[in-house]
Amino acid sequence: MGIPAAPIVTIAFKDLALSNAAKRGMPLQRISFTPHPVWGKTEDQMYAYLEGNDPVSGKPFMKEVIDVLTKPLSAEEQKTGTTTPSVGPPTFADAPDNLQQYFLDNGMTDFMPIILPTQEKVDAMLKGTSHKPNEAVGKMTPAQGAFPAWSYNVRQVAVNAAMAGAPPEYFPTILAIASTGISALFSSTNSLVSAAVINGPVRDKLQMNSGIGAMGPFNQANAVIGRAWTLMSKNLDGGGVAGETYMGSQGNIINYNNLIIPENEKDSPWPPFHVQKGFKPDESIISFFFGFGIQQGQGGRGLGVKPVPHFHEAMSYNVAPFASMFGALFLLDPLVAHGLVDLGYKTKEQLADWLQKNTKVTVRDVRSMLFSMLPRGPEAAQLTDDSVIPKWPSTDAYNFVVVGGQTNPYHQLANMSYRVSVSIDKWA
Amino acid sequence: MKVNRRKLLTMLGISPALVAEARGEHASAFFWPLHHREPKTAKAAAPGAQKIEVLNPRGTPPPITLIPMAPRLASLDGKTVYLVSDGFPGADLFLGQVANWFKKNMPSVNTEYRLKAGGFADDDPKLNAELKAKANAVIMAIGH
Repeated sequence: MGIPAAPIVTIAFKDLALSNAAKRGMPLQRISFTPHPVWGKTEDQMYAYLEGNDPVSGKPFMKEVIDVLTKPLSAEEQKTGTTTPSVGPPTFADAPDNLQQYFLDNGMTDFMPIILPTQEKVDAMLKGTSHKPNEAVGKMTPAQGAFPAWSYNVRQVAVNAAMAGAPPEYFPTILAIASTGISALFSSTNSLVSAAVINGPVRDKLQMNSGIGAMGPFNQANAVIGRAWTLMSKNLDGGGVAGETYMGSQGNIINYNNLIIPENEKDSPWPPFHVQKGFKPDESIISFFFGFGIQQGQGGRGLGVKPVPHFHEAMSYNVAPFASMFGALFLLDPLVAHGLVDLGYKTKEQLADWLQKNTKVTVRDVRSMLFSMLPRGPEAAQLTDDSVIPKWPSTDAYNFVVVGGQTNPYHQLANMSYRVSVSIDKWA
Repeated sequence: MKVNRRKLLTMLGISPALVAEARGEHASAFFWPLHHREPKTAKAAAPGAQKIEVLNPRGTPPPITLIPMAPRLASLDGKTVYLVSDGFPGADLFLGQVANWFKKNMPSVNTEYRLKAGGFADDDPKLNAELKAKANAVIMAIGH
């Protein structure tokens, strides 16, 4: 644009700002830093930041900002050209224990021991797909638009799959995940999480668990496919580096191997999730969700009603406080799903319609909540603080997956939005 | 941990000595990620331990095209400085204080506040056009 600019960043984002400026072609970008945070500080406290020193350079803050805009440029700051970053050699050779340590020290693991990706193991993994090792699979970034996307091929995905401990038959599902370019370690301060719902014959082929303990550590495929997603999210895009490409303030335990949810199609009274999205029942499909996380739904209003608990009321009650920037993903034990059918919800669509019409919040509540959005358009001008509006404007915000082993009529609910569904069969 | 700006600058063909804070940063096997701990693989393998070869799991980063900085101003006297919020909470109030600071300390500087449209990573072509037409300089903030 040709106009001098002075970016100001809080100290908590120093490493992210410096490294990302370099990755975007400005390794010497002049950046000024304030203490952290700015959000929640009074105007007097903010003014004190301006009168104080930059915590990185130690120089008076506003003098530095003015210098950024007026100090003549060095030759290096005007340099042009192109360079290709290195990610190290294609192979490493050492004793196994040393290699474990090397992978750990260089941020290539989830900080648990990995299966060392020897050529033999990677070759075996590549036999799990008909696709060529050098075929491009996709591009991934820790945050769309914020970080440059890295590319990868089938072989690079296979290395990560081997590290996670996957047998070759899991590889098409892992490739399907990689093909979306969705990182499980999104670089947000919000410690966000990802989920993948798996439908179709692949669940049985891989002997996945959609019954008792489906979302816990009780099945190899459920666990390993999720772990591979995390490893790919670190290695295929340079993500998951705390403080640099991952900024989740508290982190989230779900990020270890994500929410891998094979739907219990056999025991569900409703068509499976992928069929809702237009796929055929005999297609193997993986569907992605993204958001804040998951919680149990046992405390909801209506669950004490006899003889059939009012599951729909509990679901509505529990999602009302959710942040509206993401939707609701309900994970229903088959007993809950059948109970809802008994209550008159013959389809998931009927249930979504009831929830959309009956889950309401006041404008006052919305205005006081973080990450909640008020309606837009002409009708928005008529709203007062006491106006009651739908939690979400569309039934699209409500999604349902049946999972669990029917030991009790329980459900869990996630403040997560649906993103996309892709074929696993395509990668076989 | 610190960003290894020295390695990054070397990779880009720029003298790390230009950046004072690069001093004291340790070397890494990789340029990516910039965070790292000192590799411990220099230790000797256990007697009889067999060396094996393993594959690098990293993806392929895109080439980096260096972008030269825009020419600087001789001074801000009489200039119009746009204060642009990236939309994160608190950025509007913070930039309001920046405007107050200029009013109090450099009254010849004219400031204009704007909120960039879209998410933090989104482009705002309308604002960009206004900046190109009317701004002598831009201060952008801040992110939490």
